[in-house]
Amino acid sequence: MKMLAALLCIAPLFAQGSAATPVPDAEQWLTGSVDLGYRWRKGVGGSFETYRSIVNLGSGPKLLGTDFTIIDPKKRLFDRLDIRAEDWGDDPYSTLHVNAAKAKLYDFRADYRNIAYFNNLPSYADPLLSRGITLNEQSFDTHRRFTSIQLDLLPGHWFVPYLAFERDSETGTGVNAYVTGDNEYPVPTTVRNSADTYRGGMRLELRGFHATVEQGGTVFKDDQNVYAANGINYGNNTEPLLGQTLDLTRLSQAYGIRGAGLFTKGLLTASPTSWLDLYGQILYSRANNNVHYQEYADGNLADLSQLLFYTSQQYLLSAEAKLPHTSGSVGAEIRPVRGVRILQSWLTDRLSSNTSGTVLGDSLTTHYNLEQVDVLWDLTQKITLRGGYRAVWGDAANVILPIAELTGFERGTLRQNTGIAAVNYRPMRKLSFNGELESSRSSGTYFRTSLYNYQKLRVRASYKVGPSLQFAVDGGLLTNQNPTPGNRYDYFGHHESLSLTWSPTAVKGWSFLGNYTRSSIRSDIGYLIPQTLTPELDRYRDNNHTVTFLLDGNVTALGKVTKLSAGGSFFLSSGSRPTSYYQPFFKLAVPVNSQLAWVSEWRYYGFGESFSVFENFRTHLITTGVRFTR
Amino acid sequence: MIRVCLLTLLFCVVIPAQEVAKATYVGMETCQTCHEDIAKAFAKSPHKGAGKACESCHGPGSNHAGSAAAADILNPAKLAPAETDRICLTCHLNQPTHVGRISSSHMKNQVACTACHAIHANGPLGLVARKPAAVNELCAGCHPAVWAQFQKPYTHRLAQNAMSCVDCHNPHGSFRPGMMQFTSANEPGCFKCHAEVRGPFTFEHAPVRFEGCGTCHEAHGSANPRMLTRQDVRQVCLDCHANLPVQGRGINASAKVLGVVPPAFHDLRSPRFRNCSVCHQKIHGSYADRNLLR
Repeated sequence: MKMLAALLCIAPLFAQGSAATPVPDAEQWLTGSVDLGYRWRKGVGGSFETYRSIVNLGSGPKLLGTDFTIIDPKKRLFDRLDIRAEDWGDDPYSTLHVNAAKAKLYDFRADYRNIAYFNNLPSYADPLLSRGITLNEQSFDTHRRFTSIQLDLLPGHWFVPYLAFERDSETGTGVNAYVTGDNEYPVPTTVRNSADTYRGGMRLELRGFHATVEQGGTVFKDDQNVYAANGINYGNNTEPLLGQTLDLTRLSQAYGIRGAGLFTKGLLTASPTSWLDLYGQILYSRANNNVHYQEYADGNLADLSQLLFYTSQQYLLSAEAKLPHTSGSVGAEIRPVRGVRILQSWLTDRLSSNTSGTVLGDSLTTHYNLEQVDVLWDLTQKITLRGGYRAVWGDAANVILPIAELTGFERGTLRQNTGIAAVNYRPMRKLSFNGELESSRSSGTYFRTSLYNYQKLRVRASYKVGPSLQFAVDGGLLTNQNPTPGNRYDYFGHHESLSLTWSPTAVKGWSFLGNYTRSSIRSDIGYLIPQTLTPELDRYRDNNHTVTFLLDGNVTALGKVTKLSAGGSFFLSSGSRPTSYYQPFFKLAVPVNSQLAWVSEWRYYGFGESFSVFENFRTHLITTGVRFTR
Repeated sequence: MIRVCLLTLLFCVVIPAQEVAKATYVGMETCQTCHEDIAKAFAKSPHKGAGKACESCHGPGSNHAGSAAAADILNPAKLAPAETDRICLTCHLNQPTHVGRISSSHMKNQVACTACHAIHANGPLGLVARKPAAVNELCAGCHPAVWAQFQKPYTHRLAQNAMSCVDCHNPHGSFRPGMMQFTSANEPGCFKCHAEVRGPFTFEHAPVRFEGCGTCHEAHGSANPRMLTRQDVRQVCLDCHANLPVQGRGINASAKVLGVVPPAFHDLRSPRFRNCSVCHQKIHGSYADRNLLR
């Protein structure tokens, strides 16, 4: 009995001892998941070209996604390596991201994207549509590849040097129109351009002061080719001109564009006192392009200005285009008394494009300036008021030499004054409201479609009813009037959006996220019919309804917890281009064991247009595969 | 009597002094005793790697450790946004991402740092969403109407997670309106991925330089092909190209706005002239032709 009592007494001591020295959880060196699968695309009903222009998903085996992390416990080359990739296997958008870091030594990020750009919409650029011929003389089937690499050295130190490289390239084929005389000839084209950007700099991060200096350069090339093989191309204008039928039998256009540019960036922030923050930056870039353009064409061609018919033409051009661009901004946040902040900022942006070479080109200049002051006042702990004033002014000129026809010299002026009022109200943590109103008056804008005398209202509120239910409302209104004679631009646009997030506590594992958005645009602007110079009114109307929702849940069947997801988006519009676009989906993931799950997905794409019914399409996609998790 | 006065005085001095006893730092281990989950998550945070601990943001916690009362500890999540930001900016003000912060509409509309950055939850990759899907979900939480635009047929590939909002916008602010990203120091961020329209061109199209891509394109999505602002290309063009040529044209002439009406042979009754970009295919700028034909 004494032994038992003694055992009972010392047992808690053992227990306390084991609790006081917990064994740390061993962290796995590799964690993550890989999704592999196969996608079937049911035959596309309707316009396959439009399907490819909008969706472009195909059948076949896919690497649907992978996301894994390697942790080196000995922290040799890296502390941690993260890799993720999505949509590989001839999908129209493939991405790869790599991040490696070693504390206090380096931070490396690499990003690669390959996005297919297919565009062949019969309604877009089809001068023969009225004859029942559906084609697109501005169609492309290209791939855009984007690579971005950045290496930060000594992160977390006061001195951080960094290097970066970016490459953007586009390759593919398409259809262009060759325009000459009184005709346009659709011809095939190959697209090949790229821009490489190299930059390096250093950041100085001190307690009350920061500076960044960066120097970079770009290398650009564009080798687009347009060609037509032997054969007669009658072009869009099949009507004889002065009794002669125009045609194109051979064409070669070559763009040999080579460019280089330099840019410099300087940033500075400082907090000289407890009530003052300052910032400033100077940005300068200067891009240059050398142009060597060659064109040879054979056929029965015409020059209307001289009433001349001829069988061959050659066009050579060498030119240099320069674009020096300087931007600067300074600003300050001043806190004169508790609860009051004054934000003052000023910006200037100066750009000048000049051309020289075998032709007199154009000159484009703009001086843009912006000055804004905002005063924020924390009226109470729950209410913040803001009032502000913004002045924007600038001048722009576009000179094309030698002056011919209607092209020549154009000048625009920009003068705009805007008043701003805003309120932020947070009566409780569960409820917040934000409203902002801008009202602007102009005496000049660069373009007829620019905002002139406008009022902009933005309202946003969110309310958390309980731990599981939240509502959010977002609304906006924009009105614009330009009473200038001959313009009469009248714009009225608004949107309202209601969102609901619900994660019922009674039904564990289920959640619902839904949103309904309505937006509307009413735009009236006057323009001139080019042939007769008679005034007309362009009436553009667009009324949209969009519903998106996502329902997630877990269902237990045969002892397995199956994860279900259902949702999608539904877009319906009326007005100048009535369109419907539906994308519902349903997913499920059934665990096979702790590391393997069977995942499947059904998606539907349905697109319809009231005015261009030949572009409608619909299709089903079914994807099934497995997910390995470690 | 003197004794009573002295005792009263002592009472008045000592008791309040006890009540406002200045809190002192107690260390993260003390916090961990009660807030184990947060402490575990924080251990993976970049803040921990930078040598920060709970009291770096919450202030000294001895009073709270003694009383366990919420009122005895500074909770940034319960402060006004500006006060929350001041805590974060104590260390982060002088960083390049915040250079445009003063002109950021997030800051002006009282969106605190903690609205996007989960200080306790995230792992070593940062305190904020990094994957495109997570970034888009975060932004869509406050901008649902913008996210709805990405459900339109012609749009950038955000809904497919090939892009994210921060590819084009800098949530910390930018020196130009719209919090737009930039490339090559001060060129519009659009050129980062659309190199073929970056120029400079022998013959420029002024709107590209002066007001940017948004003059003609709805970058968030549109029901019109190529994300145009109008259902037909000709309307996009004619809405601007509707000014009569000014008298005495030449370098002494001036006009209030840019864009003159096209020559009269553009007969809109003919389908050939209803889509301007059939002929003016180099609409973003041309290396070879002043009329942007080639």
